[in-house]
Amino acid sequence: MKTILEIKNATKKFGGLVANEDVSFCVQEEEIVGVVGPNGAGKTTLFNSISGAHSLTSGNVIFNGIDITKKKSYEICKLGVGRTFQIPQSLNDMTVLDNVLVASLNRFKTVEDAKAHTEKVIAMCGLAAFIYMYAGDLNVMQKKRLEIARALATQPTLLLLDETMAGLSGVERKEAINLIRRIRTSGISILMIEHVMEVVMSVSDRVVVLNSGKLLAEGTPEEVTGNPEVIRAYLGGKTI
Amino acid sequence: MKNYIHSKSQFMIRFLIGLLAAALLPLFIKTPFAVHVMILICIWAILGMGWNFIGGYAGQVSNGHALFYGIGAYSCAIGMKSFGATPWVTMWIGVAISVGLAFVLGAPLLRLKGHYFAVATMAIGESGRIIFLNWSAVGGATGVDFLEKTKPAWYTMQFTSKYSYYYIYLIFVTIILMLTKVLDKSKFGYYLRAIKANEESAQSVGINTSRYKMLAFMLSAGVVSLAGSLYANYLQYIDPMVVMPLNVSLMICLVAVMGGIGTVIGPVIGAIVLTVISEYTRAAFSSVRGFDLFLYGILVILIVIFLPDGLVSLFKRKKQKVLTPLEMEGKIK
Repeated sequence: MKTILEIKNATKKFGGLVANEDVSFCVQEEEIVGVVGPNGAGKTTLFNSISGAHSLTSGNVIFNGIDITKKKSYEICKLGVGRTFQIPQSLNDMTVLDNVLVASLNRFKTVEDAKAHTEKVIAMCGLAAFIYMYAGDLNVMQKKRLEIARALATQPTLLLLDETMAGLSGVERKEAINLIRRIRTSGISILMIEHVMEVVMSVSDRVVVLNSGKLLAEGTPEEVTGNPEVIRAYLGGKTI
Repeated sequence: MKNYIHSKSQFMIRFLIGLLAAALLPLFIKTPFAVHVMILICIWAILGMGWNFIGGYAGQVSNGHALFYGIGAYSCAIGMKSFGATPWVTMWIGVAISVGLAFVLGAPLLRLKGHYFAVATMAIGESGRIIFLNWSAVGGATGVDFLEKTKPAWYTMQFTSKYSYYYIYLIFVTIILMLTKVLDKSKFGYYLRAIKANEESAQSVGINTSRYKMLAFMLSAGVVSLAGSLYANYLQYIDPMVVMPLNVSLMICLVAVMGGIGTVIGPVIGAIVLTVISEYTRAAFSSVRGFDLFLYGILVILIVIFLPDGLVSLFKRKKQKVLTPLEMEGKIK
């Protein structure tokens, strides 16, 4: 299998605060990797470093053999990394259709060419009924869907999902899990931050656990949940 | 797709009717003052449409566009007075200078956001005026008087009839309106609107935001410069206090905001309404000093209160609420 994303000794400091320290792991082609960890473990910081919202203090991010550590976020998107935001960053004054269309234009020269692709992505994400609604009028679930749609419309080979399940009800969550599976079937690798263990366990091929910025454990969902270190990080307890 | 063609042809019909009306209007208007107002409308419409690219579509409110207006005016004035060059050429030199200057200024300015960009552009505009006031080679505070009688009118763009100005300027308005219409529905337009809505989000879907903001700023500067050239040729006399004061910068912004920012026709409507109000109140209340501005201010406040989306919202059909599937079910039951 081909390695699509490689993170090497990633360290990110905000002044004196170390958000990520010496984190290294890989994502293989067509793999779903879950990133879990308690609040403040540095998950979103790591995502921002990969997607280029800010760059690492030291270490490297290699995507498809290209070093993207110092690249800008729009360049990284052009190379094929799509991302969603934990707090949905939809373009509220624009319709759902236009939101996705703007993202589709990443790969198409003209608006006409991008339209067919846009409609396909909207249908795939189950937003077809809302295309003429303003993104600002959507509810949380629809906004999270729109985040995924916008990321997908840029035609990524790697998708970074930042807590797309948070705040969803049981049924909505099942639908979202199905969507993630469909995305993988279309040949896109996924790196996802998730707190909902039900989701992590059911869709991830591998799980990476972060704690206070450091890599705590890595393995299949079963291995990770059985790891005493991980249980301690989540539930607390004395050091043995 | 059918809808799209439909809306496009609808625009063309309205556009052609508007153009025809504008072209025939002078046949019925015989007072020079009314024609003067119409010429000013053309100039303000171009200014508003120019500002609209950066301020309306890209959402970066610039308060320093009088700088480019002045550059356009001065390039024609100096070109005629010192070199005897025709404004038909010098106006494009002015555009080139303005676009170049916008490129140089945009690099630091466009890094600023919101109010900081507004304040910084205001400072740049004012600095430009002060530079021109003290620059003796371009006339300094006395300005440039470039009335030229030895050359033919088509060459100097100095006509005795106001109608000639009106029709030439109307052509410029038409061209820039068409340009706005094309850009509005293009990738460029969508990208600018995305940048206005959420810059970080725009970057994350592959938009090089600084590049597109820069392009919008340069385009905007170029169009405003063109309006400056036209205005100078109409007046045949300019000085820094006529073409570069702060209130010109603010008026450019006001025209677009009143009309409806980020819309194709908005700045044109804004230009028509504001110019008519401002010129006619000035003429009607010339006996009471300052009363015209007082009235003008009140009207502007009223428009802002009752039509926050600009005058263009008067012409738009009321936005129908799009029902969600659940709401629709509720309606059927």
